Amino acid sequence: MMTEQEWTPKIVAFCCNWCSYGGADTAGMGRFQQPASVRIIKVMCSGRIDPLHVFNAFLEGADAVLVTGCHLGDCHYVNGNEKTEVRHQFLEEMVQQLGLEPERLYLNWISASEGEKFANFVNDVTEKVKKLGPSPLKPEGVR
Amino acid sequence: MVEVGDMLVGYATDEDIRSRGASGGLVTAVLAAALEKGLVENVVVMKHINEFEAVPIITDDVKEVLASIGSLHSVPVNLAKYAVGRKVAMPAKPCDAQAVIEQAKRGMIDLDNTYIVGLNCGGSMHPVTTKKMLVEMYDIDPEDVVGEDIKKGKLVFKTKNGEEKALRIDELEEAGFGRRESCRFCTLKIPLNADLACGNWGVIGDLSGSATFCQVMNGKGVKLLENAIKAGRIEVQPASDKAIAIREKVNNVMVDLGNTLEKKILPVIPDEERLQYYIDQLADCVNCGACKEVCPVCACGEDSKCTTFHSLVDNYKMSMYHMVRMLHLADSCISCGQCSDVCPSDIPITLLKSRFAIPSQRKRNYHPGIDLDTPPFFEVMLK
Amino acid sequence: MKEMIYQTVCPGCNMGCGLYIRENEDGKLAVDFMKSSSANLGKLCRFGMKLPYHYSKSVSMVDGKKASVEYAVKIASDRLSGEDVCVNVNVALLGVGNTTNEESLAFNKIADRMGTIVNTGMGVYSELPTECHPTVGVGVTLNDIENVNRIALFVDPYIQYPLLVRRILAARKNGAYVVSVGLRDLHLADENRYIDPDLYESELGLDSGSVIITELHPNTDTGWVRRMLNLALRTQAKILFMKPFVNAAGVDLLCKGAGQKGIPEIMDGINEGNIKTLVVLDSDPIELMPDSDAAAAILKKLDNLIVITSRDSPVNRIADVVIATEPQYAKAGSFMNVEGRLLNNVHVYGDNNLPSGTAGIDALSTLNQYLGGEAMDYQTLHNKVLESIVRKYTKPKYKELACQVLDIGPVEGQKGNLIYLYNPFMWFDQPDDNDFVLVNMNMVKKLGLRKGGMIALGSDVGTVNIRYRVENMPDGLILSARKLPVATGWITMVSTEAVL
Ligand SMILES: Cc1cc2nc3c(=O)[nH]c(=O)nc-3n(C[C@H](O)[C@H](O)[C@H](O)COP(=O)(O)OP(=O)(O)OC[C@H]3O[C@@H](n4cnc5c(N)ncnc54)[C@H](O)[C@@H]3O)c2cc1C
Ligand code: SF4
Ligand code: FES
Repeated sequence: MMTEQEWTPKIVAFCCNWCSYGGADTAGMGRFQQPASVRIIKVMCSGRIDPLHVFNAFLEGADAVLVTGCHLGDCHYVNGNEKTEVRHQFLEEMVQQLGLEPERLYLNWISASEGEKFANFVNDVTEKVKKLGPSPLKPEGVR
Repeated sequence: MVEVGDMLVGYATDEDIRSRGASGGLVTAVLAAALEKGLVENVVVMKHINEFEAVPIITDDVKEVLASIGSLHSVPVNLAKYAVGRKVAMPAKPCDAQAVIEQAKRGMIDLDNTYIVGLNCGGSMHPVTTKKMLVEMYDIDPEDVVGEDIKKGKLVFKTKNGEEKALRIDELEEAGFGRRESCRFCTLKIPLNADLACGNWGVIGDLSGSATFCQVMNGKGVKLLENAIKAGRIEVQPASDKAIAIREKVNNVMVDLGNTLEKKILPVIPDEERLQYYIDQLADCVNCGACKEVCPVCACGEDSKCTTFHSLVDNYKMSMYHMVRMLHLADSCISCGQCSDVCPSDIPITLLKSRFAIPSQRKRNYHPGIDLDTPPFFEVMLK
Repeated sequence: MKEMIYQTVCPGCNMGCGLYIRENEDGKLAVDFMKSSSANLGKLCRFGMKLPYHYSKSVSMVDGKKASVEYAVKIASDRLSGEDVCVNVNVALLGVGNTTNEESLAFNKIADRMGTIVNTGMGVYSELPTECHPTVGVGVTLNDIENVNRIALFVDPYIQYPLLVRRILAARKNGAYVVSVGLRDLHLADENRYIDPDLYESELGLDSGSVIITELHPNTDTGWVRRMLNLALRTQAKILFMKPFVNAAGVDLLCKGAGQKGIPEIMDGINEGNIKTLVVLDSDPIELMPDSDAAAAILKKLDNLIVITSRDSPVNRIADVVIATEPQYAKAGSFMNVEGRLLNNVHVYGDNNLPSGTAGIDALSTLNQYLGGEAMDYQTLHNKVLESIVRKYTKPKYKELACQVLDIGPVEGQKGNLIYLYNPFMWFDQPDDNDFVLVNMNMVKKLGLRKGGMIALGSDVGTVNIRYRVENMPDGLILSARKLPVATGWITMVSTEAVL
């Protein structure tokens, strides 16, 4: 029981430089309560996130992966986030078929000003994943 | 004159070709004519080694085309990759034709210059399984086999001394023999995706065994047939209504069977057991890469994402290579069974891929390898 | 030129995997699957899939300069009949079985002519009583493995002999119980155990329905082979010695002669100045010895190094004479696999003026004639092979052997035992993308190795920094499936340290 309480999930969040990365920053500056569970990886556009980056995060021990980007229509590279959305559908199906709980993968559009949204999102996911426990794909020896 | 949509029955005019052909030698005659008359520069056919072994060749030699005659049910290769980058005419089971079209979608094959003579296919068998089956179920020495046939749900083998022995296919499959697993749940039995769809279903009466039923699917099909008629290589006549109905009926029976068997071969695995199932199945992978090399719809070449981002030093719970391939094949996988055939660890890799691809394809009503109008998923959905 | 298609056997080990080699118009090679092949059903391992990189064309040379084959053969014969070449005393012939039976037989005739023998490089044979020979030579069939009740596994099939994996899995499906006594935990075993060699008999539960799978190669410890033979004898279990060279079983039958020398022994002989002339047939000691640099240095001491080969390998560059033959897949000829099955090369498709595939034999024939022997032709040699080397698994006829086994127990302090997991890539010193060693979690913790970091290994001959992969395996071991510049043998004591 003790160890379960101590365990905090590792959450990998891919954030777009132009929006959600700013959102995360805003969340930090606004001192919204945020768990220490999230690791942010900055990309220039959500469209840069290849499904294999998501797989890699899981295989390296992430308990959940968040893919975030600019709101639809706001992408700095024409339609990067629309591609992300299509990819995400496949990723979701893949994760579902693999037998990984769907609560471990998310797509969310968060702008630079939406600090509170980012914080709430992360908190929300952390709670859900805590209930699920460590990811079954986590390698041995990784906490 | 031949027209798109025609339903014909035909055969080779040359008596020798006609008698040696699987059913009338039409396919061989059409391919030979395409080469002779310069419709194509090369033809892909099977170079026979024995009843259980053949290797695809790309040839401009009519003699080789004539020698390749006959259906080899125990040589489960896929011919698509041999057509990549060339202007050829080729025989094609439905899965060969599907793979050709998937390659064309990815710019690897120029479909306008590739002539596909489709063959109906009730399924193919693995040569080693077949040999074992001959010994254990038929009590026939594989060396003595001179021909095989499928008749009324039975698999028939003919031997040197003129004997025939037939056993029910479902019983053979029950015993672990018979068709390859992927063929059992395949439901594209008539290659409507080829230029011509040829087969012996619907060949009735006197012609039975010495002619082929041929449906003309498109302009290239018209060209192939007209070219062969002009060359004096084949004769065709319209198929009777009865013949058409019989072909339809047999096909329906086979499609229903395929659907039933799919549920048996790909039973639902409960959510909470699936991950462990995949991990266990893939644990014996020796990272040979054969499953990708043989994959007829993969157009990635040597340096591809699945291999570049997979490293032997990682001992992840699941292989990155396989995860990437599962995703990449979600739209294009045609469940042809090639990857299972060549896996040195006997991983049922086709079934694993199908478990990912089939639901994704069904959800979008997407049929891989049917025509060029439906591009790869990604493009379709992005609009 | 048209595409050529050859049916051949994978040169990676003695399994006898059938395959096609396609040589396209531009000479580019590709492998294709031969699904009716009984040994492998057309399936291939990592090495087999990379064969296009393995084959390389050799070039005839004399004293480092390109030459015609004819000239190279002539010079070779001059050197071999020179005054200071004292046959039987300072000449050694080596042919480990990387080529056809027919070429090997021709090589034997040359040895006869010279009054010596061809060494297969497996020194073990001469150290064992001759009654052991058949048991070590040809094992149970690969199909038989699928129907045993118990398998005692002393090799790592995943890394060393991947085509065994499916046989063992099939056996398990048929009810066999698989115990791996290897060096790391294997997924396909029911049980992974590190058993004291003295307890094998009592602990493994083998009987006449079981099979022992182990291996034999030029660097195998004789004591180990004896122990395996004893185990088979006492338990009545069948035994299969996997071997590394495509025609290891064939050459073993063709080169019976007493006084067989192992490769290490030959190298010692050269080093000590007892062997002055070495003739090798598709066998490169630089590739075959654990320490390539040391081997090359020793070979340079020879007066005459004559290489007959189909491949461009490191020894060619220091040879006095290189006699080039056609690539292995293009040779007319046969190979015998580990189950005693004779497999033929077949030229399936190609040009009408097919090369006959006998360039190697023709060169050997000419050499023999220069040495005063008779001419040899392919068909006669092939017929001879068919007559002389039919072999089946035979019941052991040997008696209990005295043996002492190399102890690879745990080591103290910061030391570790580096052990080679020999596989085809290593025998041909060819790159594979496995630039890492295998260690266990205790070693990671003890040395404070970092994730994604490297381990430093050191020995008298060098040091190396290399990545590592964590496996379940005994303490103190470091396994490598590639040659490392710190190794001096199959097993080498090395220092270990984290690279910071
Ligand atoms: C595996 C297989 C299963 C079949 N199952 C059915 C069936 O259930 N119902 C039906 O109506 N028809 C089936 N056919 C088609 C039928 O056997 C005849 O091929 C067809 O009727 C044409 O006859 P033909 O005399 O004109 O062919 P032929 O003139 O004899 O020409 C046959 C052509 O097929 C090629 N070929 C042979 N084996 C293969 C192979 N394994 N893969 C790809 N190409 C090959 C040859 O190279 C040759 O070009 C099957 C064919 C195959 C190869
Ligand atoms: S063929 Fe089999 S062993 Fe080879 S990479 Fe594919 S799954 Fe792995
Ligand atoms: S720039 Fe933010 S998603 Fe494309």
